[in-house]
Amino acid sequence: MITVPEWINVILRSLTLIVLLFFLVKLLGTKQLSQLNIFETISGIVLGGIAAIHTMDPNTNFSYALIALVIWFLVPFGAEKIALKSKAFRDFTEGKGTVFIQDGKIMEDNLKKEGYSTDDLLEKLRDNNVFLASDVEFAILEPSGSLSVLPKRENRPLTPKDLGIKLAPSKEPQTVIMDGKVLVEPLANLSLNQQWLESELDKMNVSIENVFLAQADNDGQLSVDLFDDMIAVPAPTEKPLLLATMKKCQADLELFSLSTENMQSKEMYDKNSKKLQNAIDRITPYLS
Amino acid sequence: MTVGAQVKGCYSSIKNIEASLGILANKTQDKESKQAFENVEQIIKQIKNDLQKQVIELSKEEPQYK
Repeated sequence: MITVPEWINVILRSLTLIVLLFFLVKLLGTKQLSQLNIFETISGIVLGGIAAIHTMDPNTNFSYALIALVIWFLVPFGAEKIALKSKAFRDFTEGKGTVFIQDGKIMEDNLKKEGYSTDDLLEKLRDNNVFLASDVEFAILEPSGSLSVLPKRENRPLTPKDLGIKLAPSKEPQTVIMDGKVLVEPLANLSLNQQWLESELDKMNVSIENVFLAQADNDGQLSVDLFDDMIAVPAPTEKPLLLATMKKCQADLELFSLSTENMQSKEMYDKNSKKLQNAIDRITPYLS
Repeated sequence: MTVGAQVKGCYSSIKNIEASLGILANKTQDKESKQAFENVEQIIKQIKNDLQKQVIELSKEEPQYK
């Protein structure tokens, strides 16, 4: 048997374990990274520890490393899959939230149970931009350790809904040029093509190679950032221009209606100016 | 500018609005927006038709400025 120099052994072990660990962690999912519960934290540390020990020490039996890794992978993996199916199991492994504030009143017993002092609670509230405990309607400590806060109605941020303002729905914008290269798939998602992109860029008087980043919204308006920050790029004007034209025409019709002496024409201008005003009111949310 | 020319200008602006709305309605990916653009386009079309008659009337009244 050829004896392999130990350093080569270490290299081989390291590479194998890196690849193995990579795939195991991939399979365990990204959930691990964002919200670790106790079980997942421990399994993550142990997986890393096993890999570290067997990488460094050439005298250990490498097959033990594989067995240990697989077991420490399978159990958390299995637990996660069962937790997906069973609510009871999930409550057991991941824990339940604890209500800290209900109906604006602090639950002292629950605070004590979770080992939170009043200072801790205030700190967590400040994390949520709440400085006055009485501003809170409801607060719950999530199993992950973060505090979710529902402020009282009057302390919540004002939304268009509160003001009764109608807004057009907007979808996510698509990035169509990155580093001077056209991305075909996002363009196709908007059912647009490269000719459209080129003509839009022509309108702005820039070429594709000079564009660092270009994004199109779901109404097909293009906004670009150039490599050369000295060149000013026109902002999309199509919609504001349309709205302005509509307002101008409405004013014109009103003026005609006032200046004409023919009753029939007067009536016609008046009717249409009202119609146009109505149209402006309806379309404004979509043009801003 | 004569009244006839002013009304003609307004008429062409209305045509411009109608076309722009048509383009937006075709470009947008969202059904609700598309619907809104098309509805308003219809209103604009009615206004356009009324104005068109007026333009013809006026050109009869002021044949010298045609």
